Amino acid sequence: MPTPRGLPPASRTADPLPVASRTPEPGCLPATRSTRPGTVAPAPADRPPAPEDLHPALWHAHRVARPHDGVLPSGFAELDAQLPGGGWPARLLTELLLPHAGVGELRLLAPALAALQRQRRTVMWFDPPAAPCAWALGALGLDARQFVVVRSRAGARGRARERLPAADVLWALEHALNSGHLGAVLAWLPAWLPADALRRLQLAAQAHDGPAFLLRDAQQRTRPSAAPLRLLLASAGPDRLRVSLLKRRGPPLAQPLTLALAPVLSAPALARAVRGPAAATPRVGVPN
Amino acid sequence: MLWLALHLPLLSLEAFCATLPAATAALADPRRPVALIHQHRIAAVDAAAAGAGIRPGMKRATALALVADLAVADSDAARDAAALQAVAHAALAFTPAVTLQDGQTVLLEVQASLRLFGGLATLQQRLAAALVPLGHRVQMAAAPTALGAALLARWHPADRGDLVLGVHARQLPALQRLLDAAPVWMLGPGREHGEALQGMGLYTLSDLRRLPRAGLARRFGAGLLDDLDRALGLQPDPRSWLALPAVFDSRLELFASAETSEQVLAGAAVLLARLVAWAQARQARVGAFTLRMRHECRRQGTVPATELRVELAAPASDAVHLQLLLRERLGRCALAAPTLELQLHCHQLVAGPAPSGELFPTRASQDEGLLRLLERLRARLGDEQVQRLEPVADHRPERASRAVPAQGPATTTAAVAAAAATVVLAASPLPHHRPAWLLPEPLPLAECGALPLLEGRPLQLVSGPERIEAGWWDGPPAVRDYFIAQADDGSLVWIWRGRLPAAAGAAGWFLQGRFA
Repeated sequence: MPTPRGLPPASRTADPLPVASRTPEPGCLPATRSTRPGTVAPAPADRPPAPEDLHPALWHAHRVARPHDGVLPSGFAELDAQLPGGGWPARLLTELLLPHAGVGELRLLAPALAALQRQRRTVMWFDPPAAPCAWALGALGLDARQFVVVRSRAGARGRARERLPAADVLWALEHALNSGHLGAVLAWLPAWLPADALRRLQLAAQAHDGPAFLLRDAQQRTRPSAAPLRLLLASAGPDRLRVSLLKRRGPPLAQPLTLALAPVLSAPALARAVRGPAAATPRVGVPN
Repeated sequence: MLWLALHLPLLSLEAFCATLPAATAALADPRRPVALIHQHRIAAVDAAAAGAGIRPGMKRATALALVADLAVADSDAARDAAALQAVAHAALAFTPAVTLQDGQTVLLEVQASLRLFGGLATLQQRLAAALVPLGHRVQMAAAPTALGAALLARWHPADRGDLVLGVHARQLPALQRLLDAAPVWMLGPGREHGEALQGMGLYTLSDLRRLPRAGLARRFGAGLLDDLDRALGLQPDPRSWLALPAVFDSRLELFASAETSEQVLAGAAVLLARLVAWAQARQARVGAFTLRMRHECRRQGTVPATELRVELAAPASDAVHLQLLLRERLGRCALAAPTLELQLHCHQLVAGPAPSGELFPTRASQDEGLLRLLERLRARLGDEQVQRLEPVADHRPERASRAVPAQGPATTTAAVAAAAATVVLAASPLPHHRPAWLLPEPLPLAECGALPLLEGRPLQLVSGPERIEAGWWDGPPAVRDYFIAQADDGSLVWIWRGRLPAAAGAAGWFLQGRFA
């Protein structure tokens, strides 16, 4: 499998017609050295095949890629419009970078996870940062009973010195992805990871027919990552989420998206929150 | 009647080699000859030792003089019997009529099984495949009489080459013709009188048949003639069938003490193969098993035996899968001391139809794959680390859900009930929202004036209070006012403070959860 950034060998054996003839921007071309023309499938004489038809891993750098595998609509139309294929990609890692737990990440993922649960597919959580509340998940349309929560052993940090802190969750995650029987996985990974961990996970994810979400700290945004899709999440006010696409198979997105999440606050409370701390807070101790 | 005989010429050697740790030097060099000794005489030799000229019956000193680096060990009748019993158990999966002929031969009566398994050739193939995990070299032969089949399987003439499956004689006259050339020492009494028979020039069974019976009986006893007649089908040969034990219990004494879990696993693989043979003979699958490891004594005293119990979420009869689970379970425990003896015990069998093998993935195979994944995770990480959430009807948020160990994917009825509960959860008019993340312990917050601070920044109360008073029946009651507050960056948190100021230890603001 070629790396997402590297060019697969198929591109070098592309048709003799340079791709540049149909792509105006010269800076974002795949390599067009055609040393051995004719080794690809014969194309119609009048219309040479587009590069993305030659190999599923090829895409135009100035255009959002069409993924060859299934996608799962995220439930947010403005986000789907920006994601390659129009949803969360299957068989690929999706990295969500959060400043801290609780910015609205579950409300962002809930429509997709609920769709998976309706198909009776299992979603597995690895090392969630706190105890998930079954009632809150129920309010999001998710059935908490259908989730499997895997936690790494407490001894992994204290008792057994020789084990890496992330060894348990990485082992379990890799096996879960390799098994190919899960609908989706959500993994909260520790800050420090072995260098090849994400690459191994990405290889394992190719057997996993569903989205794989890695939730990591926002400080990792400057580190390179093997995940083909990286999103930076931040809160944009009450019940609003700002999503920046750091990396995708396509051109970078300059403007972050602002998504309206499933509301927690009632309309008056929302108005109060939007007015900001300068506005009068409810009098403590008196029910309103 | 159609009898199938399984003869294991190298049984005691193979049973001994199973106790060797895989990584020791004795087996690292496969060409090192091995011989077993019984009462100071060589009892069994492997091919390398036989090539060096060592024969059964030699004295130990003679054998060591021939090959200096001969690996010698005592033969153990109990060890051989356990290995032979495993073979008989594997055979019991194909017919209920199985009996032991002698220390190296198992007999099966298969006439009634031919139709089910699609003929003798297919049956033999499947039987051979079922015996492969036990790791024995098998000579197989079919004949219309029990003793005739045993003789044919045992008689493995050199000129037939490596004919492991033996010869077939389905009719009595053909069997008689075949057996005419068999050497006379193969009959049980013939071995006792071997020298006398040889002195009289009697080498084959046909020589024996030509003699007058009365004189032969007078000279060598009636046993020799009886055996001959039974082999040729001239005399009835009733047998009593082997009964399968209700509980599996098999021991393996290791030749060298196993110090790593890999070495333990190599020994346990032998026992697991026997367990699977036993389970298949009962037409059932293994639900749970226990591996008991007896350790060697230390100077401080005896080390108590370690017991590992492996419980399967779904019963399985796949030795590879059982081995995988045992490997993860072994990796989790530390060996107290080097292990001398392994004992595998199983009394929990689940009867039922085996899962059908399918070419394309279906809902059932998906569920089974998920079950195996969960089993593997539980075996490695421990039962309590793989959980499911269970909503509980309690107003206190810290008790509103409970984590229970995940046994497997939600069964159909449970899924239906859960789906109904989801509808109830979604449709129930919850007056207020609950945060998705709940802290395990409420986190005390600093205060500035009357307002709580989160990470040094003031929180803005935007909704509340929601009063929760519950739990007077189990411990100190929770009397709290909950608020939704907005943090500095716009994210929402759930905080509370005690309504009654007198409540000791509950003064001030606490962070309960975050809205994710």
